[in-house]
Amino acid sequence: MGDAVKLSGAQIAPDAWIDGIESAEFKTLIDAKQRSIVPMIVIYVVGYIGLSVLAGFARNFLGTKVVGAVNLGFVLIAANYAMSWVLAIVYARISANRHDPLVKVVIDKAHAGGRAR
Amino acid sequence: MNLITVAMFAIVLLISLGITAWAARRTRTTVDFYAAGKGLTAAQNGFALAGDWCSAAAFLGFTGLTALYGMDGALYAVGPLVAFCTVLFLIAEPLRNTGTYTIGDVIMYRMRQPPALAAAIVGTIVINLAYLIPQMAGAGVLIKLLFGFRYDVSVMLVGLGMIVYVAAGGMLATSWVQIIKAVLMLGAGAIVLFLALAGVGFDPLVFFASAEAKAGPNFLLPGNLLKNPFDEVSLGLGYMLGLAGLPHVMTRFYTVPDATTARRSVIWVMFLAGAFFACTTIFGVAAVHYLGPEALRVGNPGGNLTLPLLAQYLGGGKDTVGGQLMLGFVSAVAVATILAVVAGLTLATSGAVANDLYVNLFKKGKVEEHRQVMVARVTAVLVGVIATLLGILAEGVNVAVLVILAICIAASANFPVLVLSLFWRRFNTGGVVGGMGLGLISSVGLALIGPGYLGANAIWPLVNPTVVALPLGILGAVVGSLLAGRDPEHEKRFGEVTFRIQTGLRSNHP
Repeated sequence: MGDAVKLSGAQIAPDAWIDGIESAEFKTLIDAKQRSIVPMIVIYVVGYIGLSVLAGFARNFLGTKVVGAVNLGFVLIAANYAMSWVLAIVYARISANRHDPLVKVVIDKAHAGGRAR
Repeated sequence: MNLITVAMFAIVLLISLGITAWAARRTRTTVDFYAAGKGLTAAQNGFALAGDWCSAAAFLGFTGLTALYGMDGALYAVGPLVAFCTVLFLIAEPLRNTGTYTIGDVIMYRMRQPPALAAAIVGTIVINLAYLIPQMAGAGVLIKLLFGFRYDVSVMLVGLGMIVYVAAGGMLATSWVQIIKAVLMLGAGAIVLFLALAGVGFDPLVFFASAEAKAGPNFLLPGNLLKNPFDEVSLGLGYMLGLAGLPHVMTRFYTVPDATTARRSVIWVMFLAGAFFACTTIFGVAAVHYLGPEALRVGNPGGNLTLPLLAQYLGGGKDTVGGQLMLGFVSAVAVATILAVVAGLTLATSGAVANDLYVNLFKKGKVEEHRQVMVARVTAVLVGVIATLLGILAEGVNVAVLVILAICIAASANFPVLVLSLFWRRFNTGGVVGGMGLGLISSVGLALIGPGYLGANAIWPLVNPTVVALPLGILGAVVGSLLAGRDPEHEKRFGEVTFRIQTGLRSNHP
């Protein structure tokens, strides 16, 4: 296992990244990643830190009854579970469908560049 | 002593020792010892992550906190799931793409300077020991209770178990011990959930109404445990960022072949552990419904026996076979849980000492492969012995504060250093030392003068100082970087770092 991994790494020239980092393909990858990850980070930070701040400073508000004895606080806690799971699936899908193909393009180019030298 | 517990625990122990013997024969190289040959699948690593991240504090603690303090317990339980969003979006794939065995590898890959590695080593060791000691002490109390051994004998038994797993079987044995424990834990959770819901016609709303009626109108409000509002915010911040700085969980991403598998293993753990965390909230209110708040307060310090007591009740009660069976099962799972977590912690600490300190810092990487493995095994034994001794010394000491401290240091010192190493061009060795130093000192200092340690005589109002220590850690990292001055060569190399983080190119080449 370990040997096979090392072989696949050794085919690439040590300075292959110099071309890679400047390439248009790599910039496209970084842009695509930032466009999808930054909004998701904003959503979960606001959702979760918002809940923590309300739990500290708006205790009676979180006690507002929603369904039977269950209050707004427990509804927001449940919403945080749902938020985490939905974001996980969305991230996994975007990564597999959009980012991974872009990564492959960049790596293929680096391999080609590495052999050319 | 519950014979069923002993029998069930003996079965778990025999299976894990069998796995250790199998793993020991397959563990020859450093990549085997630290990273299970980088050959785990996404599902295997997902279960192992769940095994690593769900300590006894989660398995027993969250249920107990909810039963005793209502909503604050539920807030404790949801944070560890949200924490994996941080890991998924920012850490798991970059870590897998830049490091080999430890968090120190990532820092060293970026900085190439010994002081940066030394700071990372100190961070890992302090966090792991702060995490290990309460686990050892908790295991001592639990085994004493279950089997009737003396406290020090109980701690030594746990220490012996973890040393054998780690020193003989390395990451492969540790991973499978965690996978088995996760399966047992989720199985126990599913059985308890089914029985609890069956008692109320599968309507969990009954638990909330009944718990409020029995435990008082304030029970379902926040603030019953964390009186200071800033402690609620610290809890949130600590969890959200602290998990990503915990070395024993993060090193699990080195056990998979590539970043894609690392990512898929995070999705697995988010559903496995997340579902379990959600269940602990149901178990907590169900315990108040079935057993009543008075029964839970007697002889149940910190609420840690709530889940075993609930399981016993649901199995048929104290004097029935079903009750004994359920109590025995849940207790055996609790011991297995602690053993798996301390094994993971021992392995991560050995990595920091043997790989980072001895091989990379002292010997500059010039150590033969078989000697590295030998050093790693010997280190595992030493770390295990030290942890056992500290666990014995901790008898009767309030060690719960140490768990909070470990998470606080991970969030305030390790997390900023790790993230800035991965994503900030100007970050340098001065920043690593500044961030690690200020984050560590402010976390430890504020925790020691706070109510978690000094009780009523506290000089500082918060149990969990993350809300202050985290900004200080970030400040230390930024100011340290600026003071150290610019190094054009170093900043130029950041291009290579970014390229490798994003593509994983040469990721299995140190």
